[in-house]
Formats: sequence, structure tokens, C-alpha cells
Amino acid sequence: MKSSTAQYVMGIDFGSTTSKTVILDRAGNMVASAIAHKGSVSNDGAMVSMAEALQQAGITEADIARAVSTGYGRRMLDIADKSYTEITCHARGAVHLVPDARLVIDIGGQDSKVIAVDANGLVSQFAMNDRCAAGTGKFLEALARAVQVPLEEMGPMAMTAVEHLSISNMCATFAETEVVALLAEGKRKHDVLGAVHAAIASRTLGLIARVGKREPVVMTGGVAKNVAAVHHLEQVLGMKLRIPPDPQIAGALGAALFALDEITSPDHADEEDRVDTEMAAARCGTPTCTAKKPLPANVHPLHGPALH
Amino acid sequence: MSRDAIFSAFEHAAEQPLESARAWKQAHGTPVVGSFPMHFPGELAHAAGCLPVILQESQEPITVGHGMIYPFYCGYTRSVVDQACKGDYDFLDAIMFGDHCVQVLGAADVVRAKLPNTRVHFYQLISSMSDPWSLGRARETFLLLREGLEEMIGHPIADDAIHASIQLFNQNRALLRRLYDLRRAGTANITAKQMQLAVKSSMVMDKASHNALLQQLLDELESSSDRQQRGVRVYLSGHFCQAPKLGVLDLIEDCGGIVVDDDLYHGTRYISTDVSEQGDPISALAEWYLARNLKVPCPTRVDQNADWENYLLKAMENSNAQGMIVLMAKFCEPHMYYYPEIKEAFERHNMPHLLIETEHELTALEGLRTRIESFLEVVKRQANAQARRVAA
Repeated sequence: MKSSTAQYVMGIDFGSTTSKTVILDRAGNMVASAIAHKGSVSNDGAMVSMAEALQQAGITEADIARAVSTGYGRRMLDIADKSYTEITCHARGAVHLVPDARLVIDIGGQDSKVIAVDANGLVSQFAMNDRCAAGTGKFLEALARAVQVPLEEMGPMAMTAVEHLSISNMCATFAETEVVALLAEGKRKHDVLGAVHAAIASRTLGLIARVGKREPVVMTGGVAKNVAAVHHLEQVLGMKLRIPPDPQIAGALGAALFALDEITSPDHADEEDRVDTEMAAARCGTPTCTAKKPLPANVHPLHGPALH
Repeated sequence: MSRDAIFSAFEHAAEQPLESARAWKQAHGTPVVGSFPMHFPGELAHAAGCLPVILQESQEPITVGHGMIYPFYCGYTRSVVDQACKGDYDFLDAIMFGDHCVQVLGAADVVRAKLPNTRVHFYQLISSMSDPWSLGRARETFLLLREGLEEMIGHPIADDAIHASIQLFNQNRALLRRLYDLRRAGTANITAKQMQLAVKSSMVMDKASHNALLQQLLDELESSSDRQQRGVRVYLSGHFCQAPKLGVLDLIEDCGGIVVDDDLYHGTRYISTDVSEQGDPISALAEWYLARNLKVPCPTRVDQNADWENYLLKAMENSNAQGMIVLMAKFCEPHMYYYPEIKEAFERHNMPHLLIETEHELTALEGLRTRIESFLEVVKRQANAQARRVAA
């Protein structure tokens, strides 16, 4: 059980393809970070990344004062006191890593996000792909299978493209068909992969147009580690991207920072919770009530769904 | 009846509109006239002794209709065509179609072809609303509608009957507006779903029965005061024809939004304007047609005196809303034309808004949840930061 006097906070980004965990001490120093790949919205993945991070830090769950979750499976984690969306957490994490950031591009496994950040470091606008997976990590995974190249080798191989080819940037399924057609025409894998990464950049540019181009631009998420994706994005934007050393953990870091707020600035955190509490109480017994389960009589938690 | 029982009655009619209308016809022997949404004056059909029913988008998957209409038409038109192809409209005695957009025109053609034995009356209302001849042209169209209905029932419709129907419909609009007033003021916690059910059921139920239920509901709500809700106050805009999916409305509230007002067709757009109960009823209906576009501007009409984005900004202020969620039916051309102006105006006024494109086939809501939650987090955090700056 977590204790409010414990010395650490945890942020968990329960993503669609990977789970990331970051642990901070009370001074905001990162003491551990872990990434686990366990398939789609995998509870095992989240558990593995949390266990690994705890092990790295040399602590146990009892040493965690607050935990905040984010990502696709954010509401599935019992350990989390609270959850925020990945938009809010990636922006928070990215601004922490690059304090003057004004635009955050996050390309994750399931979705792509472009987030505009104001001078106070708060999200002012965002755009996100809806149902279409084009331009996401899934898009790259599907095309890696089509060209039979390991995912991590795709970027470097695409950087050696010579011939300029073009594929659809509108639909992952159509793009896969086009890739197969290009290979059947005898085109080199390197050149086909160059076109694939150019398509991702083109798709992301569409999202950027919805919130407005501004700089500096920070890129987070797993695709930020792909050299060809970064190269093509820089080409279409006409500017350099800032890539944090470990771009995949930005969301988990943001979540951990929110957890840290809760123990270092409880006034601000409480202010937001009061809004949530009143609203949740007013809904009890109505169709929109989000109460999940009754609490044991001796438990008086401060945050999250346990309010009920 | 209790509040819950009344909303259940609304839900039954709203969610099964054709079954509900068929049952009414069987019980009362009343002819049923189906119409497209937007501008059809149900008062005329009611005065003709018919039950006017605004045809709704069905929740059923579109199957046989796919072969009759393009996939890039909006969900409403595709669903209407699908329902016609499946024989769902066979019990209707007549259908009144207006030409509100290209897609509706296409749907009307298919329905007419698929229902050769059903009386289909097509009317074309003037879309230029502020010209010197606009009123006269609107009156001519409504006269033709009246004649079409008279031909169907085989006798003239008396002016007195139209006046009585106008009065009944005005009462219905006024009762629904009172419901909106209670929600806006925060004295009655009416969910977005409940509000839609109240308005949508009005479009398909017998008006006198609906008025009786509304009156009971208001008596109960006005005699008590619900606990004030806390959360992000949200204004909903868009959806001029079909009702937004209830799952989307529930999701907005589940994420922490409180819907306080809207300009939806299944909302204030439908009930905004009353018809004069004096003088020539057809002229009164023509005046209503022009006036309601000034009350809640419609992007399918052209009016020099109407400005949708300014209307929305003002409406947000009046309802003390903190953010607007725009619900745009996918492929709705009139909405797509106007949206850039709304976006620009809202950004200029630093007013948060979120665009959600909706589809008939919308089933997976998880991605949508992230966008809505993020939007509400943005509104909340920006508002809190502003409050702290002011306090400092």
C-alpha cells in the first residue's frame, strides 16, 4: 500500500504497444525508467515495466507515495491514484525535457499527436489521428512485415534510399498494398522504405497544420528513435527537431511529474480534485456514474476513482 | 409518472421512432407523414389530421443501402436510403422531402425510386433568406405543401386547424425551452442524453401526448432543485440533421464535461422559434422559416444578417460554457464549409473548442475518449492557471 510519506512517485504510460514507467524522487530526480514490449494494451507489459523500474530504483511499491497513469490503458491500472491522457502527459514530459518547447510531436504505437504548448508550458491545442493508423508506429510495423525488414533496421535502411518513390499517406492498408506492388515492380527495399518514411512525415504534417506550425519542435514517442522518420519530418517542416535522449518515456515522465505535484503542491492538486469530486458525487446512481467498486471501510484515499 | 418513467417514455419513442409511429397509426387510424429534418413545418401535416414524423438515422448497420448511394454521403442520408431499401418506410402514407443539401437530394431520389407506391412530395424552400422576395417564395412553397397534403387527405385544411396545430407546436417548443432554461441555470441536472431523448421524441410522437409528458416532467423539476454539478461546462454545436450518438454524449459527460447548452438540431435548433398564432397561418409559417435562421443560424441557408460563429460565441457566453465541442457529421458539406470560420473565430477569442467528426459506423470510442478527456484537461488546467494568475 502506498504511503503519503514515502519518498518516490511513479508515472506509468500504459501504451498500446509498449508500457513505460518512470520513478522520480521527491526532488524530481529520475531514479529509474523502464520500457516493456508485451503486445496490445498488455497488463503484463505494465507490470513488467513497473517491476523493472522498482528494481532499478532499489525500492518497493511501499516506497511510492503517488502513482499517476497515462496512455491507452490508463484506467486499467489499480496502482494509479489518478490518470491523465497521454496528450497532457506527453506535453508535460516534453516541456520538462525541453523547457522552451512550443510544439510536441508524439508518434506512438496506435496514434499520432501534435500538441501546441503555450508560454506557460500548458497545452493550448492538439490534433490526433482518429481511427486511421496511417503515420503511427502500427503503420511502420505493418510495412516492416511487408518488406520483411526488422523494425529497428527500417530507419537506417530508408536513409540509403536513392530513387524517389511515392506511396499513399492516407491509409495503412492501402499503403501496404502499394508497397507490395512496388516490390513486385522490382523496386529496391531501401527506396520503398524511403517512401514509407516520407509518407509518415507527410501525414504528420497534416496534423501539424491543424494546430499551427510553431517552434521549437520536440519529438517524443518510439518513432522519434527512427532516423529516417525524423529526417523526413525535418525535411517537410524545414526545421530541426529536438529529440530528448529517451523520447519514449516522455509520457511516463509527465505522469510522474503530475504525481510529484500532488505531494509537493497539494493545494493545486486538491483544487482540481475538488472539481472532480463534486462532479462524481453528483452523478452517483445516474447512468454517467463512474464508480467502479466499493471501498473497504478503513480506506480513505485522497485521489481517483476510489472517491466512491 | 416519475421523472425516470417520463424519460423512459421519451426513450421508447426516440429510439424506436418507426415502431412508435406504426403503433400510433394502428391505435388511432392516423395517417403518418415522414419528413426530412431541418425545415419541414410539421404543423401543416398535423392540421391535416396526420402524425408528422421526422425520419431519423437508424442505429442499424447500413447493408442493402450501400448499393444505392455513395459511401461518401453522410450517415443520415445513407441510413435513410438503407431503411427505405429494407422496407422500413412501407407503412408511411407520405414522405415530404426538402432540398437542404446535395446528399439529401440524392437520398430523396433513391427513396422515391424504392417506394413507388408511397406519396412523395418534394419541396424546395428558398435558401437565400434576406432578399426582398424571400418571404414570398417561402410562402409559395408552404402553400404547395398545404396543397399536397390536401390532395392526400382529399379535402381542404382549414386555417383554424392550422392555427390550432401551430398553438400546440408552440406549446411544445416552449415546454422544451423551459427544460433547457433549467439545465442552463443548473437547477436541474439533465444529461445530454436525456435532453436529446426529450427533443427527439418530440419529433416522432403525437405532440399533445408529448406536451402532457413534458408538463409533468417540468412540474417535478421546477418544484425541486438538483444539487449543482461541478465540472467543465461544455457547449455542443453541429449535427443539423441526425441526432449525435448517445454513446458520444455519455462519453463527454463520463470524461468530466457537463453539457449546458447546444445548437444541435436535436436540441435548441429544433425549438428555437415559435410561429405566430395570428393572421394567415401560411404567412406565419413563412415568417417562422426566415426568423428561425436568425435565432440559430443554419449553414445550409444564406443570410446576410446571420453569422454563425458570432452566434456561437454569444451563446457560449450566455450559457457560461467553458469550451465548445463541435460534432461534425462526416461528409456534411455545409458544416465543412463553415467550420474554418468558426475555428478561426474561436482561436481569435481564445475560446477552447474541439472538433469531433462523427460517423454512422462509429463504434470504437476509446480513441475519442482520449481526445475528449484531453480537451477537458486543457480547459480545466488553463482555467485554473488563469485563476491563479488573477489571484496572484
